[in-house]
Amino acid sequence: MKKLIEISHVNRVFSIVGGEFQALKDINASIEEGTLTILKGRSGSGKTTLMNIASALDFPTSGTVCIGGNDITKMSETERENMRRRDFGFVFQAVSLIPTMNAFQNVEFSLRMAGIKDNRKERVEECLKRVGLGSRMKHMPSEMSGGEQQRVAIARAIAHHPRILFADEPTAELDSSMAAEVVRMFQEITREEHLTILMTTHDTGLMDAGDMVIELQNGEQICQTQ
Amino acid sequence: MLGIMLQKLWHKKWMAFSLLLGIILLIATAVSFPMYRDAVYNRMLQDEFQQYLSENAQWPTENKMLMVSKKDVGGKAISKMEAFTEGLFEELQVVGKDNIRYYSLAKAGVHSLMNRSDLSEVEVRLGYLSDLSEHVSILSGSMYSENGLTDAGEIEVVISEDAMVHLNLLVGETLEYDEFKTSDGSKVRLKIVGVFREKDSNDFYWEISSDSFENDCFMQEDLFQTYFTGENAGNYTITCSYASQFEYDSIDASDVDSLVKKTGYLLNESSYRGTMSRPAYYDILETFQAKQKRIDATLFILQIPVLILLGAFLLMISGQMYEMERNEISVIKSRGASRGQIFRLYLYQSIFLAGIGCAAGLPLGSIFCKLLGSADNFLQFGLTRKLDARYTLDVILYAVAAFIACVLMITLPAIRHSRMTIVNLKQQNAIKKKSWWETCFLDIIFLGVSVYGYYNYRNHTAELTERVLQGKALDPLLYISSSLFILGAGLLVLRIVPLLVKGIFSLAKKWWSPAGYASLMEIIKNGRKQQFIMLFLILTLSLGMFHATVARTIMQNARDNEAYLAGADLVLQEAWSTNASFASQTGQVEEKQYIEPDFGKYNALTGAESFTKVIVDRDATIQIGDGSYDTGTLMGIHTKEFGENTSLSDSLLSEPYHQLLNKLAVTPDGVLVSKNFSTDYGMKEGDVILFKNKDQKEARGTIVGFVDYWPGFSTRSILLNEEGKMRETNNLLVVANYASLGQKFGVTPYQVWIRVKDGYDTDFFYDWIEENDVPVKYYVDRSKQLSKVMEDPLLQGTNGVLTMSFLVTILLCAAGYLIYWVMSIRQREMMFGVLRACGMHKGEIFRMLIMEQFFSGFLSIAAGFGIGKAASNLFTEMFETAYAAADQTLPIKLVTSAGDLVQLYGVTGIVMIVCLVILTAIVFKMNIAKALKLGEE
Repeated sequence: MKKLIEISHVNRVFSIVGGEFQALKDINASIEEGTLTILKGRSGSGKTTLMNIASALDFPTSGTVCIGGNDITKMSETERENMRRRDFGFVFQAVSLIPTMNAFQNVEFSLRMAGIKDNRKERVEECLKRVGLGSRMKHMPSEMSGGEQQRVAIARAIAHHPRILFADEPTAELDSSMAAEVVRMFQEITREEHLTILMTTHDTGLMDAGDMVIELQNGEQICQTQ
Repeated sequence: MLGIMLQKLWHKKWMAFSLLLGIILLIATAVSFPMYRDAVYNRMLQDEFQQYLSENAQWPTENKMLMVSKKDVGGKAISKMEAFTEGLFEELQVVGKDNIRYYSLAKAGVHSLMNRSDLSEVEVRLGYLSDLSEHVSILSGSMYSENGLTDAGEIEVVISEDAMVHLNLLVGETLEYDEFKTSDGSKVRLKIVGVFREKDSNDFYWEISSDSFENDCFMQEDLFQTYFTGENAGNYTITCSYASQFEYDSIDASDVDSLVKKTGYLLNESSYRGTMSRPAYYDILETFQAKQKRIDATLFILQIPVLILLGAFLLMISGQMYEMERNEISVIKSRGASRGQIFRLYLYQSIFLAGIGCAAGLPLGSIFCKLLGSADNFLQFGLTRKLDARYTLDVILYAVAAFIACVLMITLPAIRHSRMTIVNLKQQNAIKKKSWWETCFLDIIFLGVSVYGYYNYRNHTAELTERVLQGKALDPLLYISSSLFILGAGLLVLRIVPLLVKGIFSLAKKWWSPAGYASLMEIIKNGRKQQFIMLFLILTLSLGMFHATVARTIMQNARDNEAYLAGADLVLQEAWSTNASFASQTGQVEEKQYIEPDFGKYNALTGAESFTKVIVDRDATIQIGDGSYDTGTLMGIHTKEFGENTSLSDSLLSEPYHQLLNKLAVTPDGVLVSKNFSTDYGMKEGDVILFKNKDQKEARGTIVGFVDYWPGFSTRSILLNEEGKMRETNNLLVVANYASLGQKFGVTPYQVWIRVKDGYDTDFFYDWIEENDVPVKYYVDRSKQLSKVMEDPLLQGTNGVLTMSFLVTILLCAAGYLIYWVMSIRQREMMFGVLRACGMHKGEIFRMLIMEQFFSGFLSIAAGFGIGKAASNLFTEMFETAYAAADQTLPIKLVTSAGDLVQLYGVTGIVMIVCLVILTAIVFKMNIAKALKLGEE
């Protein structure tokens, strides 16, 4: 299969009070298209930092990240932004829906962001049905449970047909059955939407679900299992 | 608890600082009003006293009493009066100045023991004047001795110069009463030991009696008391006069009420002790009280809006603060903190902040007070006369009230919040409801009431004028109408804006860019949160505009009117002598002839640009229509010179001023007459009218033109009749050529109208009067009149209060708007992080915020402008009626200043720009990863 994300020799150093802190040390990884990759590690292990760098939210101190053969660390801010809104989808740990929009509008918003004008209504409905919320499209985020909100966030993240879905601890605030449900949904999405998913988690129970697991400890990559 | 509180405040130092700012301003404003009032009343009171003194050449604060203790009645009355007068200063609580007693026996016959052939029997009055020796100089002989008796047991007396001449008495002479006997039965004998002259005849001391003391013999005070009063009083009729003066500059405005009350009581109750004459100060103080009442009520009404805005500001900020602390509070609450504990935490916090606010607000208040008192026009602080700002009881009471109000306003929202647990909070977050005012149509009700008020007053302007003449204050309802109009219209805008936004939104729902879409959604769904700040903006701007117009209109119209009525820069009428005194002596009946004073001395007026003779006869008789006559004003002018010394706006006339003067100039027997000759009596140009001057000399003139206004001419008189009803009469004016009047009337007293050179003050005029010893009958100094207008406490206070209110509101508005925006962005920081992560450009976020700002800020500003303009056009004129003087002659014109608008919108613009700069900084500094982290906490 085709390599979609190639991370090579990535280092990330943060300046902190009284010195420096190396969050990532020489990370190398390549992720194939259409797979679900799990970034594993305890909190503080650097997995979110790596995710931020891979998703063009942050820059590595050194090293490169290539997506589809293009080095995103060399891109301009606008190019990175455009890539984020067209080619990436995001699911965050905390609820990240726009509180003033209902479920339908939240999902539709990502289509707007990606500049998609046609068949928006159909696509939104399709995505919400996929996450099992076909009947709650008019509900406001404040009227939904945490799990439901997270599912709307997933629908939003996939609506505009991104190439990669980045999910940072998407299950952290959910109970275990709900977490399993989200992961199951991710597996389904990788198959049906031909999407590549990179998600972080510290939940060891979810490791089996991934096509690939990258484990980090203190900023160092300790294993990559296929 | 204190530790937690300080920590909490420190954590939200900007909020705390804003709260503090609001509190300081509230307390300073609240305190500055009574401070200003007290100070300006004191100034006004002293002005009134000084005016009385200079107009009447008489001390304003004096009391006089007269009592006659009848023979055979006994001396009880005397001792009562003495007790009363001795305690008078204390009773009135004033600082005494002079205290004079003049007791005398009835005039009775005496004969000289010197057997002078040239002296038949004379009548003398024996008495004493307290402290006589201090007020006289002895011309011959000496003062009476310490014990007042000669060795032979005669009473030593001194007499005045006048008495010496009038009674033909000599020093050393002994007189014996025919009638009066001492207690031991011997006849009373007087020995004249000296003759005196008054040290200073203008001394109040000598006003004790209207008599010139030409029959009086004065003896030593104590001796008089032993001989004639006390147990001996029953044997004599004694006239007791008492006069006292007290210092008026020691009277404080706050003492006036009690002084009036006490004096009134004394006037009523003194009858059994004697007759107390109604003192001049009593009337002065009563007038003062009436004025004070009017000013009090007016300023109180005017200060309400700013106090309400300040209160609203505090509520808004403390509300914001709780909004931020909601989570904290509900968490603490859920962990078992009692409501009481949370409430106490906030109560302590409020008291702490209000305490600091008081400490800073009180001194700031005195600065505000001084600024208030120096405002000579809207947003101008040109008056230099110092106001004595003091911390009176009133001020302290206001400060305490403001302190309590602050504490309440900061603590009250906590009660609501302290009731809420995290569960309630979540539930409440989900509920979106209409504001209470929207459901009960408060905006429509307010507008309805104000429109009713407007039409009500429109139709009753005459009653408004009547109120003013009756000395009543600005009608609160009138002011409330205008305020309700502004408030109602502001709320209506708030009701309309969401509809407008929804309309705009749905117009192009499909094509909105993500930024536009997100911001419009934000406004539609969260717009209610902005209502408060929007209303605040609207109210500040519209009230600001309205107040600016009101203040400028009131001041400008008052000044224009005063300048117009003065006629010229300086007007002087000398007292002319006539042949009357000569005629009465010779007994011949001759025609009254005036003797013209030297006119050449006017050339010595250094500061005069030009001057002209003007005959002004306000008691002329003028024929109106067929044969009937009415009183009016007759003027005789040198047309060219008159034109040079006066000016009149052509807009007030139907023909240009100089054209009218020319028309008169070319027709020697022509007259210009007031408009009412045409409108009321149907006269036309070319008609001939008859008129007589006050000496009944007759002349006739041909009408060459009609004038609506004329320099110094008051077109109408408004008077109140006895029932307090208003009566308006149109005044008549005839302006003729000076030369033609001179021909017909002979020498006639004239006024001299003077134009002052540019840049000169009028001191030269007074110097000139003094140097030339000019007998002034009447004069007008326009510049003095104008400064009097500017210092009029009602006008000046109104202007000052409106100016200060404006400054305070603009400051609040700026602070409030900034805080609101910064807070609102901080609250949504995580949201922006998400949007940025999803690939939204910084520029888009910025555009989003600009759009939100447009709908809250710019729309409010535009609405504020419109509402302010409408309120000015509708209500200013009615306001002006409440302030216009009874002699308001010129048509009232609305005065707006572009400068005010520039200042108002300049400040608002700066606030908006600062807002934008802060927004930009926040958006561009925003770290996506950090913003997202915020969400995880």
